[in-house]
Amino acid sequence: MDATLTPSSRLASSDIPTAVPVKRTVGNWFGWLIGGWAMFFAFLFGLSATMLGVVRLFAGFDEKKNSVGGTWEGVGNILILMLVFVMILATLLTMADRKWSAMMQDRVGPNRARLPGIDSPLAGLPHIIADVLKMLFKEDFISDGAARQKLLFNLGPLLAFGPAFCLFAVIPMSPEVFFFGKRISLQVLHVDWGILYVFALASIGVFGTALAGWSSDNKFALLGGLRASAQMISYEVTLGLTLVGAFIAYGSVRLDVMSELQGATEAAIRIGGSDPTLFFGWLPAWGIFMQPLAAIFFLTAAMAEIKRTPFDTPEGESEIIGYYLEYSGLKSGLFLIAEYVETVVVAGIVTAIFLGGWHLPWIEPALCSVLDGLWHGNGAALLAIFQVMGFIIKVLLVIWVMFLARWALPRFRYDQVMHLGWKMLLPASLANVIISAAAYLAGGREAMAMVGLVEIVAFVGYVAFWGKKPAADAPDAHGHAADPHAAPASH
Amino acid sequence: MDHGHAESPRAAQDEQELTLGEKLFLRETIKGMAIVARHFWKNLFGFRDNTTEVLDRKGTGVNLVTTINYPEEQKPYPPGYRGMHRLVPRVDGRPRCVACYMCATACPAQCIYIEAGEYDDQAIEKYPVRFEIDELRCIVCGFCVEACPKDAIRMDTGTHAPAVLSRPLAVFDKEALLGGAPVELSSDSMTYRAPLKTVAPMGSNEGGKKMGGH
Repeated sequence: MDATLTPSSRLASSDIPTAVPVKRTVGNWFGWLIGGWAMFFAFLFGLSATMLGVVRLFAGFDEKKNSVGGTWEGVGNILILMLVFVMILATLLTMADRKWSAMMQDRVGPNRARLPGIDSPLAGLPHIIADVLKMLFKEDFISDGAARQKLLFNLGPLLAFGPAFCLFAVIPMSPEVFFFGKRISLQVLHVDWGILYVFALASIGVFGTALAGWSSDNKFALLGGLRASAQMISYEVTLGLTLVGAFIAYGSVRLDVMSELQGATEAAIRIGGSDPTLFFGWLPAWGIFMQPLAAIFFLTAAMAEIKRTPFDTPEGESEIIGYYLEYSGLKSGLFLIAEYVETVVVAGIVTAIFLGGWHLPWIEPALCSVLDGLWHGNGAALLAIFQVMGFIIKVLLVIWVMFLARWALPRFRYDQVMHLGWKMLLPASLANVIISAAAYLAGGREAMAMVGLVEIVAFVGYVAFWGKKPAADAPDAHGHAADPHAAPASH
Repeated sequence: MDHGHAESPRAAQDEQELTLGEKLFLRETIKGMAIVARHFWKNLFGFRDNTTEVLDRKGTGVNLVTTINYPEEQKPYPPGYRGMHRLVPRVDGRPRCVACYMCATACPAQCIYIEAGEYDDQAIEKYPVRFEIDELRCIVCGFCVEACPKDAIRMDTGTHAPAVLSRPLAVFDKEALLGGAPVELSSDSMTYRAPLKTVAPMGSNEGGKKMGGH
């Protein structure tokens, strides 16, 4: 027998684990907590500053001095927003989805992949590289049936990913601001059609799934594609109608205009004092306070539109697998990453319309004067860094809520998805349009905020108290007629 | 919601049990999401207490993850765990085993193979020349430990038989098995007599046969 393989040498080698009692990790827990969050916010600050800086750099090539939207500024924005911010965030989300879901379900989550030389899981981040490499180097298999419509088959993932990727162009991440001598903003397209661009391109995405389902020459894929197209088309109606209330409030479909109206303007911040746009003097003029139910409906409809769980009927692994059944390698990866890109985009739209966009509540004038003191005359530019940071944090929060819904809620049945879309959300959003319009006519945006506050109170009351009573009690007798959107849903 | 099922009494009953507030689904949605969110933040901010038993991991500040990352972290087996065998050494390093074959006889799996040898000049006359345990055959019943009159074989290593890549590697010989803390019992002193050679000098043969192992 080989000398290296004798039992005694084997026993002596480190191959046989000796039971080492695990140690409590409470000692450095507090340090990690503080240090981790400090690093996180420092990273976000650095990211925001870098994004603005790069766009400023590109805008420097432009001739025009004092207006946003030059060619080079657009190039810089495309580079920094769509190629870096959205794509990196979407890539990180593939990991965050798995890691956050692990935390929600008391698991550890992926932690096996290692970077060479570093014997630490790094919170699972090396798995991103492993996943991407796997996608890149897998065989791109095309089945015989699909090979007959190879063009359409290849077009599927492109049409699913491309529009989703382009959607972020109209989402504003920063105000128009003089950033060290140039007027810039972190937004690719400054166009009047704003949100209509989002609706138009989102419906192009239907082609991707429908083509994928049809050209795969697979019955299950076809079923998935049909479900996806039916669901996406149905929810587009709701998606548009939920936002009509916001259009009424802001009088525009431009996302940058909407964001701007939800907080003090640059000039008002400069003057100082309190924020003049606050409702009743204390409430930030955010869309969610004017349209609380529309925000919930929009988020729900958007989750259905991008086919995220719990609305992922087009891709039930245990029944019809999904429209991407026949795809492999990077094409399959495109479908998967498109979903995360759409998640980022939806979070960006919700932030821009309902959560005040880049605006920080209450503190903007004070923060600006403090920053002016730190670096004289550049308060607004420095404030813009914090505003971009606030936007990113809001986006991350919305994404977190979407993932929370994904891992908390059971999947809807297909007919339930349709029921929810056509018979509940659609009438409710129509009612929302009527009420919002009436409130706006009665007293402008403050009246809408008043109605919104009533809706919030009614909603909280409903969540806290209603529904616990036995069925014998008539539910309508509980004084919740203030919740107008409950009516259509309750037949 | 679906009135098509209303004819069935069971469905009608289910329908009745839901209040309108429950049928709206929103309240239950928020309740469910709150539970999941609570787990998330607890696991995000809680430190890992991986020393306690699974069911005890519910103190304040402790997260709820009960996984032990096996190769890096290992939980010690409980005290009574019958782990891999070892041949118990005496304080001088020789095995306590006197090659009496009691363990091999008691072994229901017949996984112990012993060849006895003899010391020339010791009060303890027999020792195992070969002592092999086939860990693949062993059923870890512990009968050998019970049978041993000299407390010479124990299963207190606290580890299990390691995985091997070929069957011969699972046969552990005397050198591999001999190890761990030496054991000296009070009754052992009776066996330490002066070597016989002091009574009857036998020439230059000092240490008897060369002993294996250590």
